[in-house]
Amino acid sequence: MEYMPEFRLCAPASVDEAVGLAAADAGARYLSGGTDLVVNVRRGIERPAALIDLSAIGELKDIDEDDGGLRLGAGVVLRDLAENETLRRDFAAVAEAALAVAGPTHREYATLGGNLCLDTRCLFYNQSEWWRGANDYCLKKEGETCHVAPKGSFCFAAFSGDVAPALLVSGAEVELAGPEGRRRIPLAELYNDDGMDHLALKAGELVAAVHLPGAVAGVPSAYAKARVRGSIDFPLAGAAVALAMKGGGVEDLRVGLTAVGPRPFLVEDTERFADAPLDGAALDDLREMVRAQAQPMRTTTVAPWYRRRVAGNLARRLAAGLAAASP
Amino acid sequence: MESTLHLTLNGRRRGDLVPDNMLLVDYLREVAALTGTKIGCDGGECGACTVLVDGRPRHSCLTLAGACQGRHVETIESLEEGGRMAALQRGFHEKLGAQCGFCTPGMIMAAEGLLRATPDPGTEDIRASMASNICRCTGYIKIIEAVQAAARELAP
Amino acid sequence: MNRVAAPVSSIGLSQPLVDGPEKVTGRARYAADLASPQALVGRLLRSPVSHAEITALDTSAARRIPGVVAVITGDDCDETFGILPIAQNEYPLARGRVRYRGEPLAAVAAVDAETAQRAIDAIEFAYDELPAYYTAADARADGAVELHAERPGNIDRHAEFELGDVDGGFEAADLVREETYHCAEICQVQSEPHAVLADYDAERDRITVSPSTQVPYYVHLMLAKTLKMEKSRIRVVKPYIGGGFGCRTEALNVDLICALLARAAKGAVRIVASREETFITHRGRPETGLRLKIGLKQDGTITAVECHAVQRGGAYSGYGLVTILYNGSLLYALYDIEAIRYEGFRVLTNTPPCGAMRGHGTVNARFAFENLLDAMAAEMGLDAFAVRRANMLKAPTFTTNDLMINSYGLPQCLDWVEEASGWKERKGRLGPNRGLGMACSHYISGASKPVNWTGEPHATVHLKVDFDGSITLLTGAAEIGQGSSTVLVQCVAEVLGLDMSRIRIIAADSALTPKDNGSYSSRVTYMVGNAAIQAATELKRVLVEAAAAKLDARPEDVECLGEVYRAATQDEGLAFDEVVVAALAETGTLTVKGNYDTIPESHGGKKYRGAAIGGSMAFSYAAQAVEVSVDPDTAQITVEKVWVAHDCGKALNPLAVEGQVQGSVWMGMGQALSEETHYHKGLGITSNMLDYRVPTIVESPPIEVKIIESMDPHGPFGAKEAGEGSLSGFLPALASAVADAIGVRPVELPMTPDRLMRLMEKGGRSG
Repeated sequence: MEYMPEFRLCAPASVDEAVGLAAADAGARYLSGGTDLVVNVRRGIERPAALIDLSAIGELKDIDEDDGGLRLGAGVVLRDLAENETLRRDFAAVAEAALAVAGPTHREYATLGGNLCLDTRCLFYNQSEWWRGANDYCLKKEGETCHVAPKGSFCFAAFSGDVAPALLVSGAEVELAGPEGRRRIPLAELYNDDGMDHLALKAGELVAAVHLPGAVAGVPSAYAKARVRGSIDFPLAGAAVALAMKGGGVEDLRVGLTAVGPRPFLVEDTERFADAPLDGAALDDLREMVRAQAQPMRTTTVAPWYRRRVAGNLARRLAAGLAAASP
Repeated sequence: MESTLHLTLNGRRRGDLVPDNMLLVDYLREVAALTGTKIGCDGGECGACTVLVDGRPRHSCLTLAGACQGRHVETIESLEEGGRMAALQRGFHEKLGAQCGFCTPGMIMAAEGLLRATPDPGTEDIRASMASNICRCTGYIKIIEAVQAAARELAP
Repeated sequence: MNRVAAPVSSIGLSQPLVDGPEKVTGRARYAADLASPQALVGRLLRSPVSHAEITALDTSAARRIPGVVAVITGDDCDETFGILPIAQNEYPLARGRVRYRGEPLAAVAAVDAETAQRAIDAIEFAYDELPAYYTAADARADGAVELHAERPGNIDRHAEFELGDVDGGFEAADLVREETYHCAEICQVQSEPHAVLADYDAERDRITVSPSTQVPYYVHLMLAKTLKMEKSRIRVVKPYIGGGFGCRTEALNVDLICALLARAAKGAVRIVASREETFITHRGRPETGLRLKIGLKQDGTITAVECHAVQRGGAYSGYGLVTILYNGSLLYALYDIEAIRYEGFRVLTNTPPCGAMRGHGTVNARFAFENLLDAMAAEMGLDAFAVRRANMLKAPTFTTNDLMINSYGLPQCLDWVEEASGWKERKGRLGPNRGLGMACSHYISGASKPVNWTGEPHATVHLKVDFDGSITLLTGAAEIGQGSSTVLVQCVAEVLGLDMSRIRIIAADSALTPKDNGSYSSRVTYMVGNAAIQAATELKRVLVEAAAAKLDARPEDVECLGEVYRAATQDEGLAFDEVVVAALAETGTLTVKGNYDTIPESHGGKKYRGAAIGGSMAFSYAAQAVEVSVDPDTAQITVEKVWVAHDCGKALNPLAVEGQVQGSVWMGMGQALSEETHYHKGLGITSNMLDYRVPTIVESPPIEVKIIESMDPHGPFGAKEAGEGSLSGFLPALASAVADAIGVRPVELPMTPDRLMRLMEKGGRSG
């Protein structure tokens, strides 16, 4: 029998009911697929008083056409996301990113919302209670020191979801539901640049859906991740690129990165590629730009040096591929 | 906290008083005494605990038993037909897809999920669908052959 | 009834495993599955510090928690354990001092996991910290605190020898090159985490223990020692075992602690280790630094070798001295090399103890050797196959260090691999970022002199035949997934000409089966297989005599056709069941025995200290070619294909041999590409299956296997080792292929993308 901390399990039938349950218990956590949260509960990293299981809420599982774009329920499992024909056609990077998450069995029940709300990861954090105790815990949880950068007071734990960068380059917004009702914010605003507190959710809020704008539908995009194994591994670095070309020049180039810092983010300053062809020199510039903005720390066994360089290489390769494929 | 869990387990309906914090794998092994489902890691890393929930593969070590209310759960023990090995089991046996056998129940349930969706999988389908399951003995070659042999046996 | 029967053959034919149906149906019971409704849950308190004097361990609060039945500490067992009688320096629960993070300090038996954990949390541990050493260099530094008083300088073992004219050899060489290599520590990560069920019978003062072990007999010995119980009061029953690969070739602390807890609790206790605890229990392959020098002539012959090795052994000896000795002595026996100078240090450090992982002692040295040989061949413009062929042994022979070789199929292995891989046409011509490489390897078929040897036969098999006509094969050999039970049934069936289904096997229950040393160093097929053949031959003799008496014929005129025994002149004959009835009429239930002993010539001479290490009745040989592609953007290596030829003497079960060879090559791939343990101040930071990266099915290549049969004169039906020899060749073959693909040659393991990218960009070694 596996050791498990005590908690209550609730299974609301609607988003409103879920939000009400959360409002009533500050120690409650939302549970979706559980591929991340249950591991952390088993390790004693999370000690929720209650888990609010969202898997019975039908509303969260729908994929709908939405003003030329798509509304993706947060409870859609990654397998369905990866196989959705509209998504594959209009927002290819999102489908590719969904397919790149963990392994096939994980994707059968891990959800879109779960992947967006993934806890940040670090070698000194994703360990058992015994391990963390023996190491005096860490800044992110229960401790005073960051073992990655012992002199600082910043947590470098890396956000390691694959889907977020693909959604970022697709201009996605997230629909949040909370005690104060619903609101829609750009996905980028869901994240803080802080490994300890990377989600800008208010108390009791959950991600209900993701909106992909019709204006971006059909813009060629792609996602790639670096990892040691061909499956299961979190990204060591992940890059999504969306590229619209017009008349042989760049109309719009966006690059989203993951796993190279506490939050997924859009690479800044890509506007400067506009109107010029994406030739070898421009691609090299793009690679260096990505490398400069990616700031991974030693949160994995693989050297940060590598993660920064490979992030640039992946972005360059994806952009080159999209450019070559554009008419 | 505990509550009564009603589910269909290997085709039989049952109800059990189950603690809220109980994992499905512990429910299967300790409450239902179905020890075919294995625990090989500390959570979602090896696939030995793979079962089918509503026909799809799932890690029973990351699934709360209480989250299976009203669902259909199938384990390795459900596959035999009339006391004889099912095609997948025969494939794993005859092609030596199982050496030590510890990953095998999870491996077979992942393959069962695959074959229900893709009755005639190619090598790459098998690789793609069984990539949450770690085997330490075989190098996977004979596992691929085992699944292909089963698919052939099941082909109409 | 048709009595015109013919003997059934089972040897040389692919046979599914005799215990396969249980494994594929979920009926197989591993230690965590054994029914024991009353068993208490055992949990361990593990040291949070690397190196410290224990000043207090207060369990009083833990004992007061309702539901806690027993709490034990180092005070409850003052006996050490260990696989080698001269290096037993480990207590089941630490006494006086802890030497690595995670070392067990105390154990609790309670009614459930929650209660047990609460009790663990309630134990107060006070200590005075000592300096801790996480690298071999730090532990060997001047003034370092000694982990064990009897091991000065933290040297667990210093091994050295010099055979032949090494300096002369280097002088005679046309090219001498020296290189250093670094191999990260790796772990077995067998599928099943450690588990054990111990049931103490307080009424009779007896105990039954079912551990997840490869060596029930060695566990039995250590249970007797640590429990201070007569061996006769202990029963060890091996359940199904979810792999081992060497980490279970010695009694583990969890086995012993569980038994101590069960006795303290006066009942049944089960310990199921987490994956993290299984990593901490470790016994993997040590981190090894090697400096290797080879002298080569332009005709490809190797003139001299010098090897210097340092292994970070961990906090206790375990198998350590064997590992450091094998590392040197098994530089021999693959090629015809005369002159070798070797110096090796096994160092004690404040990390979990290493052990005897698959390919024990040979793998890292072989990586270095083949890698350097390949680089030198390339430098001299010599073909990799030609260089190997210039150094072939000629069996039968004894090596310079007295290893006995009677069969040697390496030339045939080379021929097949060269042909199958298209080497001549394709090597160096695969285009950018794609390459082909090759290497050779070998391994022993069991150690001729086992540890703990008291002179008894190396293997004993019993066959029981009773009124029902069934044959029960009783062996202590531990089936752990490698197919040993199947091969033993095959041996017996073959001798008797019977279908395998006539034979049942009971493996490794000390109350029923003859003692066996266990499943390690690839000894079972060779030694127990020979014992099984002898037992079956004896049974056949008894049955033939009984048939002869019944048929009124002379025994030598009786023909055994498996299901029918008949005298030469008769048509009708007797059915097997009738022969059994006739045989039993004389003696009642029949039990016959077969023994096997190695021959003294195989024990190794006394030319240097430790020469007997590596002595074996036979060596397997393997050659393999590996094709890779390297992604220039990610520095990711993809293994596209492997061709491996393995000389196992005779493939008793070709299906199982293929499975073993594929598994070996693939495990070598894991070490080469992605597997390594990391520690943070002695805390295992990769003690899970996400950060310790065992390859998935996605990146696992097709492995084409060719079985070469050199027919070993002493092997069972000519067989020898199949489950280890082809592992170590993969690593240097991969390095060779990478060098072919991208022009830089990895000398560090594993070849992870960050290491390879640094090598690609800087041309040097990674930091």
